[in-house]
Amino acid sequence: MSDIAIQIENLSKLYRLGTIGTGSLRQDLQRWWTTSVRKKADPYFQLDSTTSPHQALWALQDVSFEVKQGEVWGLVGNNGAGKSTLLKIVSRIVRPTQGVVRGRGRISSLLEVGTGFQPELTGRENVFLSGYILGMSKPEIRARFDEIVAFSGIEKFLDTPVKRYSSGMYVRLAFAVAAHLEPDILILDEVLAVGDADFQKKCLGKMREVSQNTGRTILFVSHSMQAVTNLCSKALWLQQGKVRALGDVSQVVNQYLADTQQSNLLQTWSTPEAAPGNDFIRFKRVQIVPQQVGDDEPLDIRVPLTVKFEFWNLLDETLLSTNLVLFSNGGECIFDVPSVAVVCQQGVVAGECTIPGNFLNDGAYYVSLFIVKDTTTALYDYENCLSFELEDYRGEIKWYGKWWGAVRPLLPFSLTQTESVLS
Amino acid sequence: MTTNTDTKWDWEIKEQTNWLGASPAEFWAYRHLLAGLVRRDFLLGYQQTVLGPLWVLLQPIMTLITYVVVFGKVVGISTGTVPPVLFYLAGIVLWNLFNDSFTGTSATFSENAHIFSKVYFPRVITPVARLAGYLISFGIQFGFLVLILAYYWLFTSWSAPSAFGIPLALLVILLISTQSIGLGLLFSVLTGKYRDIRFFVGLGTRLLMFLTPVIYPVEHVSLKWRWLLELNPLTPLFELFRWSLLGQGTVTVGQVLYSIAFTLGLFVVALLTFNKQGDKLMDVV
Repeated sequence: MSDIAIQIENLSKLYRLGTIGTGSLRQDLQRWWTTSVRKKADPYFQLDSTTSPHQALWALQDVSFEVKQGEVWGLVGNNGAGKSTLLKIVSRIVRPTQGVVRGRGRISSLLEVGTGFQPELTGRENVFLSGYILGMSKPEIRARFDEIVAFSGIEKFLDTPVKRYSSGMYVRLAFAVAAHLEPDILILDEVLAVGDADFQKKCLGKMREVSQNTGRTILFVSHSMQAVTNLCSKALWLQQGKVRALGDVSQVVNQYLADTQQSNLLQTWSTPEAAPGNDFIRFKRVQIVPQQVGDDEPLDIRVPLTVKFEFWNLLDETLLSTNLVLFSNGGECIFDVPSVAVVCQQGVVAGECTIPGNFLNDGAYYVSLFIVKDTTTALYDYENCLSFELEDYRGEIKWYGKWWGAVRPLLPFSLTQTESVLS
Repeated sequence: MTTNTDTKWDWEIKEQTNWLGASPAEFWAYRHLLAGLVRRDFLLGYQQTVLGPLWVLLQPIMTLITYVVVFGKVVGISTGTVPPVLFYLAGIVLWNLFNDSFTGTSATFSENAHIFSKVYFPRVITPVARLAGYLISFGIQFGFLVLILAYYWLFTSWSAPSAFGIPLALLVILLISTQSIGLGLLFSVLTGKYRDIRFFVGLGTRLLMFLTPVIYPVEHVSLKWRWLLELNPLTPLFELFRWSLLGQGTVTVGQVLYSIAFTLGLFVVALLTFNKQGDKLMDVV
């Protein structure tokens, strides 16, 4: 038992919406007067009128886990899953509504780069000030001062007020202070999302060094799965305040990625009434079927994708055709492909179209289906009905930058030497 | 989950808030932060000013000149046997301490919300650092008062009281500091929740000054209205301060005890409220 650094038991946090006040005494009094004395609707918070009088939001619900000494945990999950709330509770910034967090050792949290930085003061003053705020003592900062300055690389500007720094310099100095903290437990929130690529690499390196060589316990929140897999040994996946999975990092991250990827590969409806559509068309099923070998492998650019759909046609004797429109994540149209036109009766119509492998670039894509009558009149445009994400695959290519282009087709491409100067 | 009750944990976070806030040991661990914050406030206060820390003395001197001219010469308020310069300076210096540290600490939550929501340290350190900063300024101003007092004692016919009163003056300084930070802590919770209380703080202190014997001696007030003045726990402290340093003041032991009791009561209530409500406020700010 003695090697457990943090123990979290049944931790819950409730945020009450609409009961915390409006922030103005006059409005609060007015609100009290209308809701409590005259028993009328709240004039400032209308969103909760349909449900309970005070809408509650469970930011965390019954979260329990144990972190052993020296383990690096990654916290993953969508926005609003409760990751930051969990970190804030463990850092003692907010109180839990229920549950206990127990721990051993000094704890430092880094939820933001540059907390307590004072723009008017010089870099030197700020190193000390932000060190104190993060819980360091004067001798500790003095001992590491040169190291901090060297890491940040701003020696020349040490006696310049921080307000005259470029944002990059500011972040570098702030991170340098934080990186030289030596607590037993370190709590990090998305701090690597700042600075240029070069500095990010330096930070990641520093974090790895810290966790591996000094056996420090780290809790780390990031949206970058690459950073999580690289740095952490364990991971916790939170979904709407609850623990979805926890354990070994690669396992949890794969589950999380698979879940977010598959969420929009299939949509079905059992009755026309509940289905999206209008008086002419109701969709029954839309689906992307990847033509890959293994089921749990992530989709990459080599995989052919078959889009299958079925819809209820509510019109008799109509010439129908469908367009498949593919959009990139940025909303740019990649292509718009029409089907053949067929005369259909009332009933179910099915269609299928295959996007070949080795054709699209890596990234996220959205599919829209567009149903047309007599090849001229739009009947229904089902926007963004499916979405998918393609992982990168480069084979032998040793270059790791972002690949250009909306598509990356595998075209016949030859390269031959026709002349040689070497005799 | 295996829970071993024998295990010793270093810390524990639960839903209940501790009334006492941080333990003295924890407070001590953050002493460097306290010093750092005092230094920050000092450096920030005089950043890009021409005269810099000289303002600590210039501000009371200018006020003194105004008071001596307006209240001493134009309005003609009698200051008894005490030279008007000494009378007003003593009042101004003490009032500044109260006014600055009350208004300075009353916005603790709203001013530091961005730091409080990102990192933990005993919250009470911020107002204490503020008070410490104002006490340093006060020390300089008090030194100036003593210099002026020495001048009058050596070069004029005015006779100073015995040095016996100085411990009493220190007691007054302690009580004024405690009272101002107590009020500041209480109001910081209110201004954290309701931003409009801030305007009340500014207006309230300005009005309170007229209910406190800063620019006039209590002696001067008609007996009919003196009860109103004596209700103010600051009144006996100002009179005692002048009595101990300048040898003139209208104050009884009972009034001083009333003021001490008020100060201690206020401080305890304020500290508990600050610690208890502070955690709840963190969900709001």
